[in-house]
Amino acid sequence: MNENALCTKTHEYVLEQGKQYEVGITDYAIEQLGDIVFIELPEVDSEFAKDEVFATIESVKAASEIYMPISGKVVEINEQLVNSPELLNDESFEEKWLVKIESSADQVEFADLLDYSDYKEEME
Amino acid sequence: MTKQTFLHDTHVKLGAKMVDFAGWHMPVQYSSIIEEHKTVRNAVGIFDVSHMGEIIVSGEDSLPFLNKIVPQDISKLIDKKAVYCQLTNKNGGIIDDLIIYKLEEKKYLIIANASRIDEDLNWMVRNKAGFEVSIVNESHNYSLLAVQGPKTKALMQSLGVQELPEFFHIKRGELFNINVWISRTGYTGEDGVEILVRNEFSEYLWDKLMESGQEYGIKPIGLGARDTLRLEAALHLYGNDLDEDTTPIEAGLSWSVPKNKIDDYNGKQVIEEQLKNGGRKKLIGLKMLDRNIARHGYDVYYNNEKIGIVTSGGISPIRGDNIALAYIKPLDNLAVGSTIQILIRDKLHNAEIVKKPFVEKRNKENK
Repeated sequence: MNENALCTKTHEYVLEQGKQYEVGITDYAIEQLGDIVFIELPEVDSEFAKDEVFATIESVKAASEIYMPISGKVVEINEQLVNSPELLNDESFEEKWLVKIESSADQVEFADLLDYSDYKEEME
Repeated sequence: MTKQTFLHDTHVKLGAKMVDFAGWHMPVQYSSIIEEHKTVRNAVGIFDVSHMGEIIVSGEDSLPFLNKIVPQDISKLIDKKAVYCQLTNKNGGIIDDLIIYKLEEKKYLIIANASRIDEDLNWMVRNKAGFEVSIVNESHNYSLLAVQGPKTKALMQSLGVQELPEFFHIKRGELFNINVWISRTGYTGEDGVEILVRNEFSEYLWDKLMESGQEYGIKPIGLGARDTLRLEAALHLYGNDLDEDTTPIEAGLSWSVPKNKIDDYNGKQVIEEQLKNGGRKKLIGLKMLDRNIARHGYDVYYNNEKIGIVTSGGISPIRGDNIALAYIKPLDNLAVGSTIQILIRDKLHNAEIVKKPFVEKRNKENK
């Protein structure tokens, strides 16, 4: 996982990539979920507030709701993961982001996000 | 307080992910649920199911007593044979589902669900008036290891058990010089055995079975795969698919209920009436027609009307699609092949009624 990602306590991450942000779930979350068998992503152009549910990831055991770490508008979804959810468990596969968003979130929205290193420490 | 089996440290050492289940700290998976599932279908897996309950019923009236508390006819049970039973209440509702083994004349072993042992014992004690019978909970003395999969027989034979008991039979045996009871039963739909062993020997026996099983591809299997395996085999899970408001007939267990049992038993009137006319609801098998997964508690719809509820659902690693068990109102126009809908996150998704089990059971081939 990219060390520059900012994480939520509910195991999402957001990573700044130029003018866009990648949003996904943390490596810790993937490890905890085990075999991932279904991913439902929103449509391009849909808009979400911070902490709003934007996706569902299902492991063999259960369905988990995924929350937006910051507000934004979806500009791209990871179709590859929709078609092959098990790629999320594949350590050699790198494109694990769920959606790319455009965001005009202010400092307040970032205030409760954790640096990846702090997040990892907290999960141990 | 959460209980631990005598194999708890063994699971942790093997890197299992542990969860609380029915008051026990149990392994849910060691590697991957899907891999573990396929190991049991293609080779052999070993499960710690020591959380299950063992109750010994013995004494002069053990047979008439058992005949009063289950719909099955225990007088037909021959020595060393087992029968799948339900402990029913006065309304025919299922207090627990059990396997009853006849160990010898007037001595029976009951295997009960971990979450129901206390209710089972209470109910049995409430029903024992007038019977000369002893009911002893032996659960804390015994561990139960399940060895399941097509290579079980070869593995057991390599350990000197030349003659496995027949399907749904039990026999005394010796494994690595340890006295055990071996029964040809399981909860996976595969051929396999369940081995009852005193707690103090369970860790040694587990390690030895793992060691000897290497050449057959044995792997430890957690509760996660136990659940996906039993769902593919359409075997009921108490608390999901069975409860005190559901009769054996409604649960699709009519095959296990004798039509002409002479002895009276708890719930007989309701069950016999339902055998003739059907129940208030019926258990059906479903396959999803898209990639969505039906889960426990999701509503079932037909013609925009709610007609039932999913009680177990998930993926089928062997079929490669998503399957479920659901209770629906008995409607004349619905049968195998009909399309109904499951409400998933506020949207209706098509599902087809299919035959149960979802995969072919292979446990009866190897007698």
